[in-house]
Amino acid sequence: MPTEKEIYDKVREILVDALGADESECTMDATLMGDLGAESIDFLDIVFRLEKAFNVKIPRGELFPDNFAAADPTLTKNGALTEAGIAELRKRLPHADVDKFAKDPKVENIQDLFTVGMIVKFMETKLSGT
Amino acid sequence: MKLEGRVAIVTGGSRGIGRAIVCALAREGAKVAFAYHSNQQAADELVEELKKEGREVVGYQCDVKQKNAAEKVVETVLEKWEKIDILVNNAGVIRDTLLATMSEEHWNEVIATNLNGVFNFCQAVTRPMMSQRYGRMINVSSVAADFGNPGQANYAASKGGVDGFTRCVATELAKRNITVNAVAPGFIETDMTIAVRSAAGDQIVKHIPARRLGKPEDVAHAVVFLATEEAAYITGQVLRVDGGLTLGGF
Repeated sequence: MPTEKEIYDKVREILVDALGADESECTMDATLMGDLGAESIDFLDIVFRLEKAFNVKIPRGELFPDNFAAADPTLTKNGALTEAGIAELRKRLPHADVDKFAKDPKVENIQDLFTVGMIVKFMETKLSGT
Repeated sequence: MKLEGRVAIVTGGSRGIGRAIVCALAREGAKVAFAYHSNQQAADELVEELKKEGREVVGYQCDVKQKNAAEKVVETVLEKWEKIDILVNNAGVIRDTLLATMSEEHWNEVIATNLNGVFNFCQAVTRPMMSQRYGRMINVSSVAADFGNPGQANYAASKGGVDGFTRCVATELAKRNITVNAVAPGFIETDMTIAVRSAAGDQIVKHIPARRLGKPEDVAHAVVFLATEEAAYITGQVLRVDGGLTLGGF
């Protein structure tokens, strides 16, 4: 079972490769879309590379959930997530900092949840088998 | 040799336009795996012909309508040649009937072969192409997609679908140096057009500014161009290869 540092190093290498980002930009708090310029095709590429690097299978939607807010109207209201929406987010993204998001739960801020740290936490859980 | 070292998959490669595409790609130096539906003899003859020229070509029986069959072909090619650079979706059928009497079977078969087949193969090669940051997908469409020929509701719908699919997937994959284009042949001398051509006689040629029917090689040359590395900045396009048929002059 690799350490957090070992996982972080591998994740950073993948993001440098997938996004053409600078190593120094890939801090734990860096957001994939805002700070590192990731687009939808990049998310796919990141998942493929994580699978290959860590020898695991990551089913669709497990790391980066599909557009769940769009499917159920009770999850959003006036461009922000409702309590039900935030609860659903916590369920789908146990590895993300949802508390921080909940302070200003606008739909457009969901993308800020996708940070380098989120991927590292996700891989730690995935590799520990819990 | 414009495609030296490249690996290509061509569906519907044993006859007609597909056969010409397989030959053209192989003669430009690519290793070519082609999928064919049922004509084993035609497939074997094609492999023999190109082997004699020293080309590396292999044929796989495959029903493009089946997703797992498409995935199997892609997997086999990756095991054999370790990469895939070019995919040409050429497999296609026609079942012309007026809408009022078109059976569900005729509708479904055309859509499943011509459109679902494109989906199945394009999806199967996306990951290997993304990993290597290089790919050329070329879908064989038809000018029928844009023009209303009676009896071709199913065919035109499937090819119109191919055009739309081509544009969307092109935008998705462009960032990864994968181009996705379509070629739209006009009237080409193949088995598929024999019935129409013998019924219409010379009438067709009168409507074609080039005053001749197209040859399968005419389409193959366009495909080879789009498959080259140099065509890197062309994506999401539908290139008509029709001798001016659809220009609408009078």
